[in-house]
Amino acid sequence: MAEKLIGADIAPPDLHAKITGRAKFAEDFRAPGMVFAKLLLSPMPHARVRSMDTSRALAMPGVIGILTADDVPAREGPREACLTNEPKYEGEPVLAVAAVDEETAAAAIEEIEIDFEPLPFVVDPLESLRPSGPNAYTEGNQFSGEDGWSQLKWTAADFALIDAGRMPNPTAPIEWTKGDPEAAFAESSLVLEEVIVHQSLTHHPMEPRSNMAYWENGRLFAFVSTQSTQQTKFALAGALDMDPEDITLVAEFCGGGFGSKISGSTVMQIPALFSRKIGRPVMLRITRYEENYVGRARPGFQSWLKMGFLPNGKCNAIDLILVEDGGPYGSGDNGTAGMTADLTYTPRNMRFRAASMYTNTPPKAAQRGPGGAQIIAMMEPILDKAARELGMDRLEIRRINAPGPDVTFGPRDTTLTSVHAREALDQGAQMFDWAGKQALSGQRNGSKVTGLGIGLSPYTAGSRGRDGLMLIRPDGRLYVHQGIGNLGTHSIADTARPAAELLGLDWDDVTIVWGDSSKGMPRSTVQAGSQTTHAHTRANHAAGMDALRKVRQIAAATLGGAASAYSVDGGRVRGPGGSMTFAQVAQRAIAMGGEYDGHVLPEDIHAQTVPAAQMLAGQGLMGVARDNYGGEGSIYSWVAGFAMIELDHDTGVVDIKEFVGVTDCGTVLHPRSLGAQVLGGCIQGIGMAMTQRWVFDPQWGVPFANRLYTARPPGFLDIPLNARWGAVGIADPTSPVGAKGIGEPPVGAGAAALACAVADAMGGVCLCRTPLTPDIILAELEGRVAAHGRLDQHVG
Amino acid sequence: MAKIRDMIPAFELLQPTTIEAAIDLLDEHRSGAWVLAGGLDSFDWFKDRIKRPSAVIDLGGIPELTGIRDAEGGLEIGAMTTLTSIVRHPRIRSEYSIVADAAEHVATPQIRNQGTMGGNLAQDTRCWYYRSGWPCYRAGGNTCYASAPQAMNREHCIMGRSRCVAVNPSDTAPALIAVDAKMIVENTSGPKVYDAEDFFIGPSIDITRMTVMKPRDLLTRVHIPAAWANAEFYYEKVRDRGSWDFQLVSIAAAFRMSGGTIEEARIAVNGVAPYPVRLDAVERLVAGTSGDEATANRAGDLAIAGARALRHNDYKIPMMRNLVRRAVGSVA
Amino acid sequence: MEFWRSVANPWDQNVLIGVSWDLMWAAVGGAVLFLVGHAIWIKTRPAEAPQAPVDRAAAAGIPERIQRHSLAARIFHWTMSATMLVLLVTAFVPVFGFQFAWVQVHWIAGVLLIASVLWHVVHAIGWQDFWSMFQLGIDEGMAHLKHVLSSKAPAPPKAGKYPFDHRMYHHVIVVVSLAAIITGVFMMVRIDTPFMARNPYLFGDSTWGVIYVLHGLSGVALIFLIAAHIYFAIRPEKRWITWSMIRGWVDREHYLAHHDPEKWVVAEKVAALQGGTGAVADATVSAPRGED
Ligand SMILES: Cc1cc2nc3c(=O)[nH]c(=O)nc-3n(C[C@H](O)[C@H](O)[C@H](O)COP(=O)(O)OP(=O)(O)OC[C@H]3O[C@@H](n4cnc5c(N)ncnc54)[C@H](O)[C@@H]3O)c2cc1C
Repeated sequence: MAEKLIGADIAPPDLHAKITGRAKFAEDFRAPGMVFAKLLLSPMPHARVRSMDTSRALAMPGVIGILTADDVPAREGPREACLTNEPKYEGEPVLAVAAVDEETAAAAIEEIEIDFEPLPFVVDPLESLRPSGPNAYTEGNQFSGEDGWSQLKWTAADFALIDAGRMPNPTAPIEWTKGDPEAAFAESSLVLEEVIVHQSLTHHPMEPRSNMAYWENGRLFAFVSTQSTQQTKFALAGALDMDPEDITLVAEFCGGGFGSKISGSTVMQIPALFSRKIGRPVMLRITRYEENYVGRARPGFQSWLKMGFLPNGKCNAIDLILVEDGGPYGSGDNGTAGMTADLTYTPRNMRFRAASMYTNTPPKAAQRGPGGAQIIAMMEPILDKAARELGMDRLEIRRINAPGPDVTFGPRDTTLTSVHAREALDQGAQMFDWAGKQALSGQRNGSKVTGLGIGLSPYTAGSRGRDGLMLIRPDGRLYVHQGIGNLGTHSIADTARPAAELLGLDWDDVTIVWGDSSKGMPRSTVQAGSQTTHAHTRANHAAGMDALRKVRQIAAATLGGAASAYSVDGGRVRGPGGSMTFAQVAQRAIAMGGEYDGHVLPEDIHAQTVPAAQMLAGQGLMGVARDNYGGEGSIYSWVAGFAMIELDHDTGVVDIKEFVGVTDCGTVLHPRSLGAQVLGGCIQGIGMAMTQRWVFDPQWGVPFANRLYTARPPGFLDIPLNARWGAVGIADPTSPVGAKGIGEPPVGAGAAALACAVADAMGGVCLCRTPLTPDIILAELEGRVAAHGRLDQHVG
Repeated sequence: MAKIRDMIPAFELLQPTTIEAAIDLLDEHRSGAWVLAGGLDSFDWFKDRIKRPSAVIDLGGIPELTGIRDAEGGLEIGAMTTLTSIVRHPRIRSEYSIVADAAEHVATPQIRNQGTMGGNLAQDTRCWYYRSGWPCYRAGGNTCYASAPQAMNREHCIMGRSRCVAVNPSDTAPALIAVDAKMIVENTSGPKVYDAEDFFIGPSIDITRMTVMKPRDLLTRVHIPAAWANAEFYYEKVRDRGSWDFQLVSIAAAFRMSGGTIEEARIAVNGVAPYPVRLDAVERLVAGTSGDEATANRAGDLAIAGARALRHNDYKIPMMRNLVRRAVGSVA
Repeated sequence: MEFWRSVANPWDQNVLIGVSWDLMWAAVGGAVLFLVGHAIWIKTRPAEAPQAPVDRAAAAGIPERIQRHSLAARIFHWTMSATMLVLLVTAFVPVFGFQFAWVQVHWIAGVLLIASVLWHVVHAIGWQDFWSMFQLGIDEGMAHLKHVLSSKAPAPPKAGKYPFDHRMYHHVIVVVSLAAIITGVFMMVRIDTPFMARNPYLFGDSTWGVIYVLHGLSGVALIFLIAAHIYFAIRPEKRWITWSMIRGWVDREHYLAHHDPEKWVVAEKVAALQGGTGAVADATVSAPRGED
């Protein structure tokens, strides 16, 4: 491709609206007669509503109605309803009140007499595994579709080992083994056994999950805060058990989700159901406090890790046990964690065991790099420990263990489309001057000690087989219809570039159509798993190719000659018979009909694309296609993070002096945006490892740190001024565009680089838990007793 | 009655334009009144519907309360002066740099633009049990949740506790103690002047208040005497993040030097007790020394004598010791 | 008037946390009313029927001074009084609005009170005539009541060592202060003391509520009881008893006027009174119990 768009910095189309404040997020919408809903949240971590009296609330002037668990679809088993009479965590919505304004609705909530019966609860997942430990559900602590509820308890012998700080040998619901770990450990010249804790932490996107909805003639108009758009419409339809084509879903802007709003949120059902009940538009603005509860959280891990190494530093065996905080509705981060460990350290002999435990804590969900980010933050410092023991350079041990193109990993021997982890390490080492900086490691300046760290982090970065849908209208412009969401990552625009590139258009001639399902959206990925860039550059490439074919055919049919002899550039198609503008081509397409204007659609596009394409048919030349490019193997991107810190041994405070992040994410689509993702993701990881926290009072099962300032995401002064990024820039061979996703891989790299640098500045002592706050660092440096048990979760 | 948070209920707003009028209103409404300065602490309480005053008295319209004036060779800071004005004031920056330094460590620029001298000194503790509306001692109940065996108390106190184990959150407080500031508190019976360290009280005296001020009282200004102008100052605040964070431990120290010898010192630490702690014994110890390493070490050890940790805040003991060492060592 | 104080606990459940301080004001008011009322009553009460003259014959063989309270008993009484007063002052003066650091003084006084009570119990069982205090005396009570209601009613029978009202007061004080002490001991687990680690979760909220209410009720009751006690102690006609608690002895006159020598047998074991002028009888031998 003659690339003028791919690889260029182009301002995204939503920039002006965001900067000027004109952008309408879900809570900015208004509709005639709209009322406001407020939620009554459970005050207990696990309870049953015994009785309630809402009469005083409903009698208040301005109160319009109430929505209770009886008005919403109930969910069986450990599945989340939007309102419940048996809340499973403190803060779970129990009912909603609608009133003419929020003040009245809030006052009405206070007038409700509600009696809860407290039930046994568990906050720390490990406690639920103890022989007589509590369960999050009255029915048990494990659930399977076939067998229903059961109880998983580890033995007293396991806990004797655990309490002695040793690795237990428990039964686990999830288990796989490859190779012969026992034999491999026997052959290892170094075996490390570690106890590691990774915290759970809330997502806290800037925009809480507010939503508004109303009904007109049986049609639902929903204004939601969501990462995805097209898929969110289907998720909402599924939740409400209705025909997706009866929903108009509007989601033009989203103030972040980090995995917590992949296809909207559970609370998005509330305005829709409430509006249907009371016949008025309902706005539910979620506050920051409520967001802490209903806004999802990354599951923490309590884990035991055994890692064997050969004398050359090659990891030859891993035995990993993870206990995952599944929250009340489950979570499966452990699966990715196990895969990621196998992929990153290529041990060939690995045993993986995991138990995801239900807890009475706010629900867990994917958070940017789910599973992968945690395990990398946990294991990279152990790799450093091995390097130290073996007298190896820490870059070298990563190079030795990093996978090559022939890698197979995980229980099903997954392969990769491309991997350039070593290149990312090398480029990063060069940018950071890893070799030159070695002398600084451990150097003391007064009370401050310098530490260096590397974090190498992979994450999934694509999927295949989505659809692209676009029109060249009679105004001569290309309209790319995007079903993906506008999460602020620019992918909403950047994934359209291949089509524009193929059609030889300037970016100014391209309009991105997004954020409103009534405008027609092709079947898209959910905006998650860093899939979008890879999947939709391919889909739009396919649809672009379809449009290009049609443009040429129309030109040939109109001007004469062979279609293949025609080429496009600057909004014209030229060939042996002369040239036509795209405006003329579009008009011809409408006149010719059939496949040209979308009246006849390809057989293989997804059923969800068909109604959208039919709606747009006849309006111009339609490019519509499924991504049939195919390809073998999983798509993964990598980030190698390099950090230099100064640790103040008097205070435990860490000052990040320098950071470099280099990515292998295939072809670079949009450098400026990529830089923002690489460094932004690393910063999120730095927050995860260093500052952010979530804390529960174990007696009451109630979370603190439920405000932004107490949850402590990193602030402006917590990030290094000297932060640079780079990209390997080697195209992925299975995609015509070559781009892979980048959203998630940086998180683990940022977190791990910091965790390693802190250990380095402590003379190689790994605290083996997150967050690495001044208190635990100082306690270790001063040789004080640690405040918490080694496996304590939720202590911040 | 079910509870709901994050939604400010309507309140009666009174906007006096003179100090007299404000004091009269306070006297009229007594314990039902709430003094509103920058609102950063106040609105937090209001929006969680935990504190529901019957009358909110907004000091924003009283010009006499704003501004920094020269007074008796020193300076007088009006209670409604913003922290940003303090940070930027040329004389504070040059002669009492520790006060500007401390004010600059408060939260973020936005919060400093809005937060006031009076509000920063009179602000309530950030103990999250208390601020979650739990019925603890400070809230009029009979429990300290933060000192329970399994409680989450890494931010709490290591000294001065009495049933309540919360800490004072103010960054400016220790700096004002270090420069021997006086707080001028007025009510209908006239003004009263308190030494900065006496302005703050501990829970043993009154578990529901952080300062000597009772409902009728108004802090009108803070006077910084000439005596400590241009002393050697040391200020440091340890926090979890570089901004937008309260102290874990902070220290403010002023040293009057003669040659290489400390003639007199004033040292205060915050974040370790329910009130900013003035370290009189350490001050006496270092007087007459050069702040040499041995003295600094002894000063650090003396400072933490009697400190007692809760479950999660043992680290504050070495942290405080190290900060005192550093402060004393800074003049050597 | 409110009787209880209750709050919403962290789970938003209503729990009792103590008595309302209105009760403190009620106790203060009640005490003032009682004292003033009593004083007026005494003033305005018609003269009593003249008492039978002291039986001279009975006086024979009775020493001039009769020991009523051993030194140990007096030390106990005054220690207990002091701690009790300190406890009351530290408990209620802050509530009145005068703030000071009271908690530590309060619990230390409480510990001293407990120590003195323990000592008293041991002493009373081992060295004093334990049961002389615990005689109920229902007939005696009825006679007292009749006499109070009408000055014309015959004077009630004389008591042994401990007059009827003293015994009644002692019973009440035992119950009330034991309630205060036992609840107070539990409450100490919620504050910093050298004895135990703080643990507000030793009991559930509702148990704590009961403990606090009992402590509060007994505290409030003690305001009344102690006010009344002090009042009687300084009333002119009772001062001889107060003196006996200071000096340890009563004189023969008062002994014969107020006590029944049958019930409080003063043995002829005469001992020298320290620095005194006369002899004092050891009054440990009392009438056999079970007169009721
Ligand atoms: C997220 C966040 C982070 C923060 N971080 C820090 C920090 O790191 N360090 C720090 O020191 N502070 C910090 N603060 C506090 C902030 O700096 C303000 O100083 C403080 O909240 C109160 O100032 P205000 O002017 O807003 O007063 P208000 O909130 O209006 O008042 C605070 C209290 O003081 C009383 N009051 C105010 N003025 C007077 C007066 N003249 N007389 C009598 N009573 C009065 C009010 O009645 C109220 O009780 C933070 C605040 C927030 C919200």
